[in-house]
Amino acid sequence: MNLRLVYLHRNLTRNVRRSLLTCAAVGLPIMIYVLSMSVVHGVDKFLDNSAKQLRIVVTQKTSIVNPLPEGHRKKIEALDESKQRLTSVCGVQWIGGQRENDPTPLSVMAADADSFVSTMPEYELTQDEIDAWQKDRQAIIIGSGPAGQLGWKIGDRVSIVPTLPPYRAMEFHVISTAPKAPDNQSIFFRKDYLNEELKKDGFPEGQVSFFFVKCATKKDLDEFREKIDAAFAGSLDETRSLDEKTFMNEFIAQQFDLPKNLAILSGLTVFVAIMAAMNTMSMNFRDRIAEMATLKSLGFSGGFAFSLIQTESLLLCSLGGLVGAIVPFVVFTYTPARDFQVPLIQTLVVEWVTCMKALGIAVFIGLVAGVWPSWMAMRMHVVRALRNLE
Amino acid sequence: MSSADIEIKKLKKVYYKDKMEIPVLAGLDLSISAGEFVALMGPSGSGKSTLLHLIGGLDTATAGSVRVGESLLETMSEAQLTSWRSRHVGFIFQMYHLVPVLTAAQNVELPLLLFKMKSSERKERVKTALTIVGLGDRMDHRPNQLSGGQEQRVAIARAIVTDPDVILADEPTGDLDAKTSEEILNLLNLLNEEFGKTILMVTHDPKAAAHAKKTVHLEKGQLEREEFSNRQPMAAAR
Ligand SMILES: Nc1ncnc2c1ncn2[C@@H]1O[C@H](COP(=O)(O)OP(=O)(O)OP(=O)(O)O)[C@@H](O)[C@H]1O
Ligand SMILES: [Mg+2]
Repeated sequence: MNLRLVYLHRNLTRNVRRSLLTCAAVGLPIMIYVLSMSVVHGVDKFLDNSAKQLRIVVTQKTSIVNPLPEGHRKKIEALDESKQRLTSVCGVQWIGGQRENDPTPLSVMAADADSFVSTMPEYELTQDEIDAWQKDRQAIIIGSGPAGQLGWKIGDRVSIVPTLPPYRAMEFHVISTAPKAPDNQSIFFRKDYLNEELKKDGFPEGQVSFFFVKCATKKDLDEFREKIDAAFAGSLDETRSLDEKTFMNEFIAQQFDLPKNLAILSGLTVFVAIMAAMNTMSMNFRDRIAEMATLKSLGFSGGFAFSLIQTESLLLCSLGGLVGAIVPFVVFTYTPARDFQVPLIQTLVVEWVTCMKALGIAVFIGLVAGVWPSWMAMRMHVVRALRNLE
Repeated sequence: MSSADIEIKKLKKVYYKDKMEIPVLAGLDLSISAGEFVALMGPSGSGKSTLLHLIGGLDTATAGSVRVGESLLETMSEAQLTSWRSRHVGFIFQMYHLVPVLTAAQNVELPLLLFKMKSSERKERVKTALTIVGLGDRMDHRPNQLSGGQEQRVAIARAIVTDPDVILADEPTGDLDAKTSEEILNLLNLLNEEFGKTILMVTHDPKAAAHAKKTVHLEKGQLEREEFSNRQPMAAAR
C-alpha cells in the first residue's frame, strides 16, 4: 500500500483512545444536529401542510387568549354570500383539559358542529364518523397521539376536566381517532354541547378562541385576510387574521421557539466539537514535534507537514461525523424507533439530505480544528524543534 | 554513488536571546574534500551541532559562506534548501528519530517519497540500504522492537537510501554502549571507504574520533587544531 496512506492510517491509530474520544466529540454534536434538523424539518412540513389548507385564522386583535363573540361567524360569512371564495367558517373554543387524576395536559377544543367537517377536510373522517359527529351531541374526535397514549378507542365513553369553564368533568363518546390528521395532538368536540354545559353552571357562553376560515384559493386567502380585519375595525372586538402557517408558527414560537433554540444548541455543540478536535490535533502535533522536525530534515516541506496534520484532522472529524450522521439515520429508518412519536410532527423522519449536510459540517469542523496545528507544523523551525525549544 | 566536498569560509553564527548577542561561530574556515571522513570535537556548547546544521541547510548563517559540492547555501531560499537537502544530505542524529509507527523498511522508504520513482525501485533501494547496514532480516520490525544500535542502523539506512553526497552525524554513538558504538562506527567507515561518502561526525568520544581520517577541534567559535589519525583503512585491515 502507498506509504503516505500507511503513515496517515498509523497516525490515526497511534493513540486509539484519543482518536475515539475525538470522534465521539465530533459525532455527538453531529447527531444532535441531525436530530434537531429533523425535528425542525418535521415542524416545517407540518406548517406547510397547514398552509395547503388555505385557512385564515381569526383571533382577537390584542391577544389570542381573549375570546371573540360567536356572532362574528355570521359577519365573516356575510363577506362572501356566494360561499364560493370563503367556503366554510368554523369557530373554535380552546378549553385545555386533562383526565381526572392525571395531570397530562390535553389540547381540547370545542368546534362548530355544522362546519367542522368542511373546514378541516384533512381529517379525512369516514362517512360513519361524520354521521356519528352530527348525530351525537357528546361526540369527540381524539387525535391519534393522545388516543394512543391514553388507550382511548372508538366507542369508548371518556371523561375530561376542562382547564377553563365549566371546570368540571364532561362526558364524551369517542367517535374517531383521526388517524389521517396531520395534527395528531388536538382533540375536538361539539361546541353546542359546551354551550349547554356552560349555561347549566351559569358561565357565559358563545365565546370563541379563534375562527378557521377556509378559502377557495390563495388569492382569496390574501384578500379576505385583510377584509375580515377591516370589517371589525373600530368595533368592540377587533380581529387579527393570519394565514394558518403564520398563526401556527407564532403559536409554536410562543411556547418554545424550536428552530431558534435548536439552532443555538447545534451551534454550541459544533463549537465544542471544534474545540475538542483542535485540542486533539494540537496534542498530536506536540507529541510529534521531533518527528515532524526529522521529516523536514529529510527534505519534506512545510506544506507536507501542513497537509499531514490537516488531512488527519479532516479524516478524524469526518469519521466522527459519519458515525454521528449514520446512526440516527439508521435508527429512525430501519429500527422500531422509526415509529417514535413527536408532538406535532408525528413520526420523526431523518432525511438523507440532513445527514449529508451534517457530514459537511463535520468536514468543516475538521478543517477549522486542523488549521492552527497544521500551521504550527508548517512554520516549525527544524533546529529549534530538534533542540526542544518549540 | 555521489560524493561532494565542503568549503566553509568566514562562517559566523550569532544567536540572539533577550536582545543579547550570543556569538557561536566567529568567522570559521573549514575545508573537507570529497570522500573524506572528519570528526568534529569540542566542549559542550562550542557550536558543533550549529555547524552541522548550517552545513546541512537546516539553519542559515549570520555571515560567511558554505559550499557543498556545487551548491552555495547562502544563496538559496528556505524552500530550495529543503529540496536540496532531500537530494544531497543524509542526517544521523543521536536519538535516531525514527517514526515509531512505521516499520524499519517504511522508515527507510520515507525520504524516497520525495523522488519520482517506481514503487518497485523504491522497495529495491530500501532493501539494499537495510542490507548494507546489516538489517536485511529486520525490515518489518517497528522501532520499539529494535535495540538502540539497530535503531541507529535503520537511521543510517534512511540517511543513505537517497544516495546523498555528504553524511552529517551528530553524536551518532552518544546513546550507545562501547560495543554497539564500535559497530556503528565501522558502518560509517564502510560508507566512507566502500561508497566514498563524505562524512562529518560530531563526537565527544576520542575512540569514536579515531575512526575518522581527520579530527577538527572547535573552541570559542574557531577551529583550534586539526589532527590526522593513523587509522588503517578497513579494507587494508582485512
Ligand atoms: N536558539 C538559540 N538561542 C540562543 N542560543 C542558542 C540557540 N541555539 C543554540 N544556542 C547556543 O549556541 C551554543 C552552541 O550550541 P550547539 O548546540 O551548537 O553546541 P554543541 O557544541 O553542539 O554542544 P553539545 O556538545 O552540548 O551538543 C550554545 O551555547 C547554545 O546555548
Ligand atoms: Mg550538539
